[in-house]
Amino acid sequence: MAGIRVENIEKSFGKFKALSGVSLEVRDQEFVVLLGPSGCGKTTLLRIIAGLEQADRGRVWIGEREVSGLPPRSRRVAMVFQNYAVFPHLTVFENIAFGLRMQKAPAEKIKAKVEQAATLMHIENLLGRYPAQLSGGQRQRVAVARALAVEPEVLLMDEPLSNLDALLRLEMRAELKRLLAESRTTTLYVTHDQVEAMSLADRIAVMNAGQIVQYDQPMKVYQEPANTFVGGFIGSPPMNFLRLPVEGQQARLASLVLALPSEVSGAEVLLGVRPEDFEVYTDQRPQSFPAEVLVVEPLGPHLLLTLRFGEQLLKATVPPDFAVRPGQTIWLKPQPGRLRWLEPTSGQALTAR
Amino acid sequence: MKPGWLYMLLAGVLVVWVLLPIFLIAALAFSDRSSVFAWPKGLLPQQFSLETLAFFFGVEGVWKAIRNSLAVAGMTLVFSVLLGAPAGYALARYRFAGADAYRLLILMTRAFPLAILAIPLAVRFLQLGIYDTPFGVALVHTALALPFAVLVTSSLFLGIPKELEEAAWTLGCNRIQAFLRVVLPLALPGLAATAIFAFVISWNEVFAATLLTLRERTLPAFLLASLNDSPLPFRFAGGFFLIVPALVFIFLIRRYLFTLWGIANR
Repeated sequence: MAGIRVENIEKSFGKFKALSGVSLEVRDQEFVVLLGPSGCGKTTLLRIIAGLEQADRGRVWIGEREVSGLPPRSRRVAMVFQNYAVFPHLTVFENIAFGLRMQKAPAEKIKAKVEQAATLMHIENLLGRYPAQLSGGQRQRVAVARALAVEPEVLLMDEPLSNLDALLRLEMRAELKRLLAESRTTTLYVTHDQVEAMSLADRIAVMNAGQIVQYDQPMKVYQEPANTFVGGFIGSPPMNFLRLPVEGQQARLASLVLALPSEVSGAEVLLGVRPEDFEVYTDQRPQSFPAEVLVVEPLGPHLLLTLRFGEQLLKATVPPDFAVRPGQTIWLKPQPGRLRWLEPTSGQALTAR
Repeated sequence: MKPGWLYMLLAGVLVVWVLLPIFLIAALAFSDRSSVFAWPKGLLPQQFSLETLAFFFGVEGVWKAIRNSLAVAGMTLVFSVLLGAPAGYALARYRFAGADAYRLLILMTRAFPLAILAIPLAVRFLQLGIYDTPFGVALVHTALALPFAVLVTSSLFLGIPKELEEAAWTLGCNRIQAFLRVVLPLALPGLAATAIFAFVISWNEVFAATLLTLRERTLPAFLLASLNDSPLPFRFAGGFFLIVPALVFIFLIRRYLFTLWGIANR
């Protein structure tokens, strides 16, 4: 068990700058998810921590040891790969035992540990099989069991669920969460799936263009995005950003006047509000603004509305029994506690300080 | 698309063109003396007999030539795999400057006519004292087999996901251990195919073997030198013995050759 500390990591592939000065700290026993679109450098960062990739600059600590110059085998990490990377020429038992055999563990210990890891992943009845005889989900279980069997200080997972079909992914997600809550292994988990990140993480590090944009608890990241990128990337549909005129310490939204948390230098400000954070009415109410309905999409648990406010488009979700037609004008009341104010040019959030 | 009758006809002609001589040689190699000399020859072996083959093996020098051929082909096999596999691995795993040029260059060595090389090679081999030795011939045969060895092994290693090696590294292997424990077992059938192919190339090669030896002839060189003044049974038996190992081996490793040639294997 150990934490991970990463300092000012830089990495370029040719002219492409994959990571530009990333620092990150993962506490002991914490589950941190690196979340970002493809090409944002999240996998590269994970591979640098594993030692599979060399950083151009910067340092990596695991626990109290600096591991920057060490090969993967000396870092006491275990990794789970996107394509499972289960050894096809070895049985499930030998796959799980691989790391222990490399440590030259005695036979009884290997047997005990393999069975323990296999039981944890519910594959104890598959130990004699070869990977070719397993389904994708079972292979993934073998890969996780193999990683856990060596009792690594740090577990690194690179999109471990993305090759599974949707239903299986849901099942494995819940199981991983249970498993890692039990084993309390420090875990760094890479994904581009925001739902996966939200559901698993103690903390999410949102990455974009080689940098960490926000590093916080899932609900914080969701409700208080650090900038327009985070608000747009997390949440489906993404956060709405309305460009509003500024009047002193306040912003004007139609007839509504909303207080700003801090002084704004420009003439405009962005209001970030999630689609579910509107109260929607068919008649005019106080503290609300009108918008024209363009599209109604029934999604089952709710209706997704595409609306036009002036020249700007926004999305809102409403209960499935809400009676509404395209062309109709409805009134939206943003929930006061759920508003996020951002600076329009930089996209950065305004802070209350 | 269903192949048309013309296509089938051409294919049929081609198959007969290749198979008929092989069949006749095989049939006559297992016939007795009288049917070898008989005319017209029957399509099927008339009298099954090992007489012809026995006669062939009884000729002086045949056993020595076979021994030499085995030695040369064996050395070629070992050299080709030991030199070719690491090169193939490097081509498959590492991005280095000039990798594509290197790949092309390997193929270009096959375009170099051996006839031009033969005299300088003979002179150099005489100076080095390896002229008329199986080792000298094996060196030349290795040069011939190496392009195939490199390209086959490179596609072989490309087919083994890099993540398998990386997983082994994180589980406590250094690079060599990861190669031996993970890559090698998976590559073994393909490496065996590469080795057999090198063996066959050497077994069949006649030009270099003829020019670079006098007494230590390999089987093809020995046969070529003595073919014109030997009796018919000797020719059939010799021909049979030259063709068969090559055919059997190529049949065994055809799957890997198909991948090398870019034909989808099913």
